[in-house]
Amino acid sequence: MKASIRPYAFSALGIAGALVIWQVLATAKVAGNALPPATTVFSTLTSTLGTGTFWSALGATIGIALLALALAALAGVAIGLLVGSFESVRYATLAVLEFLKPVPPIVVLPLAVLVLGPTAEMSLFLVVFGCLLPIVMQTVDGVQGTDPVARDTARSYGMREGEILARVVLPSAMPYIGTAMRVAAPAALVVTVVAGLLGGGPGLGQSIYQAQAAGDYASLYALVIVLGVLGLLFQGATRLAERRVLHWHESYREVVP
Amino acid sequence: MSARQAPTLPIRNRKSTMAQQPETRISATTPRLDVAHLAKTYGSGEKSHTVIEDLTFTVDAGEVVCIVGPSGVGKTTLLKCLAGLHPASSGRASIDGRTISGPPPEMALVFQDYNRSLMPWLTVRKNLILPLRHLKLPAAELKERCDSALAAVGLSHADNQYPWQLSGGMQQRVAIARALAYRPEILIMDEPFASVDAQTRFDLEDLCLKIRKDFNMTILVVTHDIDEAVYLADRVVVLGSRPARVLKVVDVDLPAPRDQITTRSLPDFARQRTEVLSLIKRPA
Repeated sequence: MKASIRPYAFSALGIAGALVIWQVLATAKVAGNALPPATTVFSTLTSTLGTGTFWSALGATIGIALLALALAALAGVAIGLLVGSFESVRYATLAVLEFLKPVPPIVVLPLAVLVLGPTAEMSLFLVVFGCLLPIVMQTVDGVQGTDPVARDTARSYGMREGEILARVVLPSAMPYIGTAMRVAAPAALVVTVVAGLLGGGPGLGQSIYQAQAAGDYASLYALVIVLGVLGLLFQGATRLAERRVLHWHESYREVVP
Repeated sequence: MSARQAPTLPIRNRKSTMAQQPETRISATTPRLDVAHLAKTYGSGEKSHTVIEDLTFTVDAGEVVCIVGPSGVGKTTLLKCLAGLHPASSGRASIDGRTISGPPPEMALVFQDYNRSLMPWLTVRKNLILPLRHLKLPAAELKERCDSALAAVGLSHADNQYPWQLSGGMQQRVAIARALAYRPEILIMDEPFASVDAQTRFDLEDLCLKIRKDFNMTILVVTHDIDEAVYLADRVVVLGSRPARVLKVVDVDLPAPRDQITTRSLPDFARQRTEVLSLIKRPA
């Protein structure tokens, strides 16, 4: 019992410590008016939670991030399976994919805003752009990491290539795809907010921009706190999903012979 | 092997035009599995690398044939050619006179690395079902095949477990059950008992003989263990080192049924293992 409570106790202590430091620094006016005290921010947060605009912005952010994540996962895994399975497709696409991989979504933001305007579609596009390539690359690695003995086994039983892809290669690649999703989920949230903040897309990013423009720093930090909590939830949810899907994998096995 | 009995289990992996073999098959001139001047070379030109030079041997219906030879002789390459996974470079392997050009539907292959050949994300039963899906069997038959295969290897209780929850010997039995559920007529095993402890090894050898008897299967086993080869086989094909060629085919005339204690203590057993061993040890 003691052992299970201790980590939580220390976490609580850490959070409390951070809040105290924040409060002291803010009260000492180290950053002037740009950093309001924690107490002010939390009371603003309480009143913000009572407004309809906040909840619709939160809904928009979560909706865009999740939809984009799902689209990126579907397209990314499909493309990854193709690229990983067929040498010709790999040679045709790998140079382009490797080139695009280090391009951050923010670089494409002006183009996206120009074409799509400050819309949900623009945000969606940016998030998919940001999440797609890592998922593709990880899937390709997973496909190529498939054990040749497992493939030979399937082939020796007369399984067709399509069936082998779906029932042997894809499950083999799942640990790789899981890792990609764990990285992509928080990134989706970040890009959704950036698209709102800098591109005017709907959601919490836009709310933060408006708070900043109005000089309402207490609201700004209240929204940042909401974002932080949302990020933790995203991370927790993906970890949970990964644990469920990959319960058979070495790193998640509960029973070891 | 004496007169061939009707198989205890019907053979239904259609796609094969082969009818059930009449009893005359045993003495017929066409062997069940015929390997004629088989050669396998990887690469081409200067970088080419010949693994198998010229292999010729046959396996008759209902026989257990073991292939022994020094390690690295190309035994696994041979099995991959027989299983239709790799094309032969020259010569041919055929089943009932039909050249093997892809995985033959009447054949199942058991790999040495059970932990790589079983799918860790599937339970034992689902591992058995995986290669059967494309046969589109009725649900009742699918269940019956899995049940009887698991019963044959003594793992009926483990069908809902995952392979990695089982011991090495049990995992290899799952791999064998998967092959049995496929209802092959020819079972090929690549060093199937190399990765298990000695006691389990004896049990699996006897399981192999029991399968031959119960299911009337033709079995080809690659092994590096000479005692195992003599214990299991009706005939032992002794391979010489690279590139692989057949040194001799030794007929094993030990009485059936074989028994781990009595068979292995027979003077004939010692004589025949010495014969095989001296063939392998003999300087080329």
